[in-house]
Amino acid sequence: MKSRRDFLRTGLVLGATFSLAGRRGLFATETPAAGNADAPLPSAGAPKPVLVAVRDGSRVAMLDKALASLGGIEAFVSKGQTVLIKPNIGWDAPPERGANTHPEIVGHLTQLCLAAGAKSVSVFDNPCDQWQLTYANSGIEKAARDAGAIVVNGKDKSLYREVAIPGGVSLKNARVHGLVLDSDVFINVPVLKHHSGSLMTAGMKNLMGVVWDRGTYHRNDLHQTIADFLTFRKPSLNILDAYHPMLSNGPRGTSVEDLVEMRMLLASTDIVALDAAAARLLGHQPAEVRHVEIGDRMKLGTMNLDQVEIRRFKLG
Amino acid sequence: MQNRLKLLRVGLALAMFAGLMAALVDFRGSVPPRFGHWLASVQFVPSLVASATGASLSLACIVIAAATLAAGRIYCSVICPLGILQDVIARLASVLRLRSKGVFRYAPPHIWLRRLFLWGTASGVAAGWTGLVVALIDPYSAFGRIASGIFRPLLTLANNTVVGAANAIGVGTLYRVEPARAGAGALAVPALMLTLIVLLSAWRGRLYCNTVCPVGTLLGWLSRWAAFRLEIDRKACSKCAACLRVCKAQCIDLRAGAIDFSRCVACYNCIGACEHGGIRYRFAWRRRQPAQADAPQGSAAPANAPDPARRAFIAGTAAAVAVSFAAAPRLLARDPGNGSGKAEQNAPGQQDRDNHTRAICPPGSGSVDQFLVRCTACQLCISACPTHVLQPATLEYGLAGIMKPRMNYSTSFCNYDCRACGEACPTGAIALLDLAEKRLTQIGEAQFDETKCIVKVKGTDCAACSEHCPTKAVNTVPYGNNLRLPRVNRDLCIGCGACEYACPVLPDKAIKVAGRRRHGRAQKPEEKKMAAPTPAGDFPF
Repeated sequence: MKSRRDFLRTGLVLGATFSLAGRRGLFATETPAAGNADAPLPSAGAPKPVLVAVRDGSRVAMLDKALASLGGIEAFVSKGQTVLIKPNIGWDAPPERGANTHPEIVGHLTQLCLAAGAKSVSVFDNPCDQWQLTYANSGIEKAARDAGAIVVNGKDKSLYREVAIPGGVSLKNARVHGLVLDSDVFINVPVLKHHSGSLMTAGMKNLMGVVWDRGTYHRNDLHQTIADFLTFRKPSLNILDAYHPMLSNGPRGTSVEDLVEMRMLLASTDIVALDAAAARLLGHQPAEVRHVEIGDRMKLGTMNLDQVEIRRFKLG
Repeated sequence: MQNRLKLLRVGLALAMFAGLMAALVDFRGSVPPRFGHWLASVQFVPSLVASATGASLSLACIVIAAATLAAGRIYCSVICPLGILQDVIARLASVLRLRSKGVFRYAPPHIWLRRLFLWGTASGVAAGWTGLVVALIDPYSAFGRIASGIFRPLLTLANNTVVGAANAIGVGTLYRVEPARAGAGALAVPALMLTLIVLLSAWRGRLYCNTVCPVGTLLGWLSRWAAFRLEIDRKACSKCAACLRVCKAQCIDLRAGAIDFSRCVACYNCIGACEHGGIRYRFAWRRRQPAQADAPQGSAAPANAPDPARRAFIAGTAAAVAVSFAAAPRLLARDPGNGSGKAEQNAPGQQDRDNHTRAICPPGSGSVDQFLVRCTACQLCISACPTHVLQPATLEYGLAGIMKPRMNYSTSFCNYDCRACGEACPTGAIALLDLAEKRLTQIGEAQFDETKCIVKVKGTDCAACSEHCPTKAVNTVPYGNNLRLPRVNRDLCIGCGACEYACPVLPDKAIKVAGRRRHGRAQKPEEKKMAAPTPAGDFPF
């Protein structure tokens, strides 16, 4: 059983590599946006990816610290660029339930991007619960709007466009939100939670919210498809809200009892490394979360934290 | 002085019409459900149904009856949205000259037809078909179905057409909305009704209200004995016919010099039309047969002379009303619910066959049987439902449930923290439960077929069902090689349909909600404080 699966995996990965190497241009119906080309792929001799981990501060202070360590928001956002901030706005639950990214982080990040000269900052998610209620009750709609962001309806099918994902093993095409395809800068701002289906949701899983039909992922090997999407587009930056991660009954949660206060925030351009560290926060080995392990194997990032330059900060 | 009555009537009618229309065509959730509820609660049939079925004590029907007995069918021109809609259409038809010269003329009543519709309604109620009959005849509910089922999707489509242009010029407040869909079967009735209403009102004003509508007939019967009635002052009348040209009820018989007050909808157009002040409200209880006393000598047909047809009509109306009231206790006796809309306590894991329903009714409705008697299919809840899980049924409930809301989990699911339908419902068919109570109300039960589940069939993780479950009644257990297989805890399941909606298995889902005919009560999910998995104060990496 195991050996057959391994054989299949090897075959599929080989196939993926082949199609990545040779046919990318042939199958792409959408030219990957400029940000994608800048994403550094880890390889031998290249500098180690950086992961910033901050703890024991307010959300805003931890975000400021993490960004300062990465060279400031200006290292990611240049004057006149369009920015997409993709938080987790999945559930009709208030901020204290920890089911969504905290609105303070989204609001503050929006302000920073605009201060850095961004032409526009857009915020959206394709929620699981009713979208107007979810946007409103998560607090994100108000926080983002007050900070100057454009809050976009994630349940408008006409805003999603069908694209080919030539590098995907299981996910060969998807209907992706236009903001992901068109924005210059794509900042992924997930929240850390237990997940009864995928064990954990952090950076990689959060990107399911940029496609129209989540069912495609569920039908075609959830973990593989989650990893496959990264062959199409990786976020320019990932910021993980782990202030009070959800440790049980995720991803929706049933009460505040599901949360544990850790007062932590992680940031990295390497989404796999970010998720590997996130898995540790929840008490898992990175490889136990299969999409993290696949992401590492497909060289979409590294889950081996020894290969990562971790900058640890304790505030307060 | 009296022609200010018309201004007042038009003002109040437009306010009521606009308010109800807004609540019913609202496709963005901008109108609070409670707003529509207040306007709908003062409607005659919803109020009567609420009181007669014991859903709630509603005095509106008594107030309306009393007002009718005082001054005629004010309800028909100021409160009933279907009546006001007909006035709007009739007015348009006049302006557009669709009717000959854009004016009305006197027409005799269709007494036999009125009697037929009233008797039909009464016998239907007596025969135990209340659920179907009341929904079909209530003019407010008919309007609700037209506005919610036909106008709302049209408005949504119009919105979506405008959004592209608006976004292009940088207006960000508009957004596209997926149009709510309803089965063609459920839309056929309002579509036919709208056609009938448009034709009849454009052609002959309030012909529907004075022929078909049993509420109009019933209130018309009351208004024959009204204390204040509109009457023609014979001395002032020059028979210029200005009044009857504006009478959309076509009830001013100038030859007889009389107004058929049973058909008068109290619109007061005639008062303003008369240059001689010849039509006025007069107190009618002190005098006996005033018409005969005032009648000019030698008049061929005195207005209030005994007329066998009219007498039969009055007798028939009285009998129909008596039959309906006699049937009311039967309604209550047939009601298997406990009247509060709250759920019964069910033994864990027990769901017998007779407690199954194909169509699932919303939380707060108690049971399908109780719901079908109390619901008038006005669709206010359907318009208020933010997830659009409430959709008009075709025949899923059977004939008694046609056009009544059901939970459709193939396109959506019930929001855990929402009770908009209970806030909206004017009849008490969907009781407004406390949110804590609603979260425990079991309207169905998830049934998991693991032989269809992706985790088993494909050997890959999924658990979309468990992900969406708000109570974690659908949780997962470790399975195979680092997989998680869904498992249902029936005691926690409330039947909200989130799992069924989310299940990606095509075409036949692996997890489905079986409806409960009588709603139950789920156990409260246990809240266990989680402990940190890693030592506090440091980084676990």
